[in-house]
Amino acid sequence: MQKRPIILASFLLFGSFLSIILIYGMVGWDVAASFTKWTGKGLIGEFIGFGNYARWFTDGALNEVFWNTLKLLVIFLGGTVLIGLVCASLLNLGIKGGGALRMIYLIPLSISFVVSAAAWAWMFQPQHGIINSLLRGVNLGFLAQPWTASTSQSLICVAIAYIWQFSGFATLIYYTGLRSVPQELIESAEISGASTFQKYRHIYWPMQGTATISVLMVLLIYILRVFALPWLLTGGGPGFSSEVLPLYLYRVTFHRLYFGYGASIGVLIFIISIALALPILYRTLVRRGS
Amino acid sequence: MNRDIFPIKRILIAIFVISLIAFYLLPIAGMVNMALKPMEELQTSPSSIVKNPGLASFGVAWDKIGNNFVNSLQFTIPATIISVILGSMAGYVFSKIRFRGAGILFFVAVLALYIPPTSIIIPLTKFMSSIGLFNTTLGLVFVHVIFGMPITTLLFRNYYANIPDDLVESAKIAGCGTFDIYRRILLPLSVPGFVVVAIFQFTNIWNEYFIGVTLTMGEASQPVTVAVANLVGTTFVPWNIQMAGALIMAIPVIVVYIVLMKWVIRGLLAGAVTGQ
Repeated sequence: MQKRPIILASFLLFGSFLSIILIYGMVGWDVAASFTKWTGKGLIGEFIGFGNYARWFTDGALNEVFWNTLKLLVIFLGGTVLIGLVCASLLNLGIKGGGALRMIYLIPLSISFVVSAAAWAWMFQPQHGIINSLLRGVNLGFLAQPWTASTSQSLICVAIAYIWQFSGFATLIYYTGLRSVPQELIESAEISGASTFQKYRHIYWPMQGTATISVLMVLLIYILRVFALPWLLTGGGPGFSSEVLPLYLYRVTFHRLYFGYGASIGVLIFIISIALALPILYRTLVRRGS
Repeated sequence: MNRDIFPIKRILIAIFVISLIAFYLLPIAGMVNMALKPMEELQTSPSSIVKNPGLASFGVAWDKIGNNFVNSLQFTIPATIISVILGSMAGYVFSKIRFRGAGILFFVAVLALYIPPTSIIIPLTKFMSSIGLFNTTLGLVFVHVIFGMPITTLLFRNYYANIPDDLVESAKIAGCGTFDIYRRILLPLSVPGFVVVAIFQFTNIWNEYFIGVTLTMGEASQPVTVAVANLVGTTFVPWNIQMAGALIMAIPVIVVYIVLMKWVIRGLLAGAVTGQ
């Protein structure tokens, strides 16, 4: 290849270079800051070695917040994939109401986490909120729950709101995946007398590996960025029961002014994110791409 | 409809489908119901269906967030346009030009999508204040373009990968340069790609809260997400005003989604099939 196209290509890649340099540069800066004692004045603090990292193991709140984050991740990914697959299968069966479902299931995806936090705050409101009012309305008042006001349910509430926003997306991808299953396979199964459930159990669902990876890749991007929804729906509470790492980082850094410790939590979020993204991204981009 | 589904199963499925539809609709219906409630009704019967619907709370909410609505437009529109243009150029390079290290560079560029802004927010706030872009519209445009690059690049690369290489090769033989190929061949074929990526970026940037809340200060310059969050986060703003505010912010994107549903679905599918 001649010289000119390369210069031109670098010009066309200007935006990418800027983004790569800045994002990875910030990661480097954050790692450096995590080795310092820093109250937020100036561009970086005073070097203290591994002090902030040593503190991870004595900080009981961080421990709780770390496990909350993983719990939310697992419930969200599992719930969204499950509902998506079930909805897509129902749509694929051509059930009545499928059209209505297809009109509305993508609407939650379009709205901001700020808006869904408001909507679900009212859904879960213990005294007059929608869910408990409906339960009381049909004489099932004894099933009413404290929802976001309870330490055992608040994280689940956050997960439900997340699943609500993204299950439509999972449905769309799985629906496309189910439609691309070769018709001959289904026909031959029908000839050998397979029931509807057997067709799904043995043919449709096992063939959704690629779709599942596509879904997980996108869901991961959003759940790793978790902030507004728990921040506004539960505020991380009661106590630390629905607090997740980004909220804790924000509190530690901007409310309590432990910038160095906050930076070390940033490193923790970075490590978790990359550890989850790398295998899945490597599989799709490198192995299949080349 | 398959014949082997018995009536009992059909009834169960019907119940399931109805509850699914309720699951998707209830939160939004509840918001609309609440926003339409006049003050007196909110106090006497907060949980019932609205009897005398009115738009009064939308007026009150608009007075509180209208200014921020305009702020959001001011950075969302330029950030969308710039990131779509830069993403299309990068997508062209990664799909049609072969050079040493292209694979690794692309991998690094896309991996950035999985580095959450929360993890690097501390240096980012410092960086933005040190270059004088903290709490400015320009600063928000800049940050949204930077964080938008990985996804716009990925979407455009996937889009251009579907345009046959032969077309590019024959243009090269005909004497077209690298930039001419982009301008004369790919750009005219890119209109659907631009629509899809622009919708995607517009909704992402419009809906974004975390960057807005950390990189701005004071009501005058905050984006609409932060202003609505401030309504939602306080106990002394009544529910109907909160919901009206949230709806004012949500309506533009919901309308875009419903009107351009076909394009949205295209975009979501394009973003999801990353490896092809």
